Amino acid sequence: MRVIRAAVDEMWSMVGQMTSAVFRHGLPLTDKIAARTALTNFVLHIHPVRVRRSWIRMSYTLCLGGLSFFLFIVLTVTGLYLMFYYVPSINHAYQDMRDLQFVVTFGGLIRNMHRWAAHAMVITVWLHMARVFLTGAYKKPREFNWGIGTVLLLVTLLLSFTGYLLPWDQLSIWAVTVGTNMAKYAPIAGPYTRYLMLGGHAVGDATLLRFYVMHVVGLPLVGFLLMVVHFWRVRKDGFSGGL
Amino acid sequence: MATEATDRIAARQRVEARRRQMEAPTTVRDDSEDEMIVSFPEFIFKEFIASVAMTVFLILVSIFLQAPLLGQANPGVTPNPSKAPWYFLGLQELLSRFPPLMAGVAFPTFVIVLMILVPFLDRNPSRRPSERKVAIILFGLYMAIVVALVIIGTFFRGHEFIWDWGWVLGNPQTCGGRSC
Ligand code: HEM
Repeated sequence: MRVIRAAVDEMWSMVGQMTSAVFRHGLPLTDKIAARTALTNFVLHIHPVRVRRSWIRMSYTLCLGGLSFFLFIVLTVTGLYLMFYYVPSINHAYQDMRDLQFVVTFGGLIRNMHRWAAHAMVITVWLHMARVFLTGAYKKPREFNWGIGTVLLLVTLLLSFTGYLLPWDQLSIWAVTVGTNMAKYAPIAGPYTRYLMLGGHAVGDATLLRFYVMHVVGLPLVGFLLMVVHFWRVRKDGFSGGL
Repeated sequence: MATEATDRIAARQRVEARRRQMEAPTTVRDDSEDEMIVSFPEFIFKEFIASVAMTVFLILVSIFLQAPLLGQANPGVTPNPSKAPWYFLGLQELLSRFPPLMAGVAFPTFVIVLMILVPFLDRNPSRRPSERKVAIILFGLYMAIVVALVIIGTFFRGHEFIWDWGWVLGNPQTCGGRSC
């Protein structure tokens, strides 16, 4: 009996050690513990340790920047799942989409989530921009972060647009044909730009591969790096909170 | 460690206070007297709630709304009308009205450059809505035009991208056999 009790105790202390190895600070019962948690926890370190209550009113940011970032994460996770089943070639892409929709476990749900989250992100980023404008938060010293934000808006639109082609159905190739046709009107560079985007004169296998590579690697990487700078500047410029 | 952090926080506050004095437009409410709180757990908790709400919303929408998947791409059959994704429909709408060089190239470039320059063009130091009427009206107009163009492109453009009252009259136009 004593042996069993000792073994159970030992196991408990092992579990305790595991928990404290991951979460170093326990419950935030005092401000000091809470501050130290925020300072030394990786997930939390992008946040300021202390904030003024007026900065974090939801009625001020409407959470829109944060939600844009969260949607970006949702898109990354659901996108990874889709990548397991999707081959970017005109012989496979469409059938892969149908399989995702009808055969793959949770395929339809994940595809829908990816799709609707993409639309939602375009909307939240627009609204975030509107919030920043209406509160005048782009004014000195945040001019540069507004500029980065503008580029982030473009990256968001391009991410959505490159993703649009991938299902390889009638909707996607013709939307992309119309979209890339707009590029060809630029003087001199126009036709070349279009050729570069399509990898040919019409939307085809080369286009699908190009859009895929940009959609899953190029643009997310650019977007992620810009977000890192964006968040860094939000911290360093000081949050504008409160009118 | 803790003292080092406190020192750093104190130094940061001094710098911030000085910057606020030097740079802040005089019309902005001075928030240096506002209550300071530790961001964990209150702030983090707010973000957590927002994320959970968004996730639940997305899952619910995704259960009930199927993402579109039409027939396989066929370069030989052009659906009529062919439309860009909705967030580019404003551009497509402009293209249908103005010369392509203007609508497809000059105009978007102009808008993007203008947007990046906004903080420098707006010489008004105030951030109070009541003191920025012009800026807010201009921005409101910009947003209203963008939204209007997207709505027109989505719902009021039918065959050959010609104006179509179908949505209002009860026979929405189709894009390859599905409502657009
Ligand atoms: C992928 C897109 C974007 C993400 C993920 C993002 C994220 C964020 C976050 C999390 C904040 C903190 C405050 C808040 O939540 O409102 C913020 C602040 C800010 N954002 Fe963005 N943003 C994006 C796009 C933009 C765009 C399009 C603009 C403007 C053109 C912009 C301009 C700013 C500025 C100036 C601030 C500082 C605001 C302040 O201090 O009040 N951002 N952003």
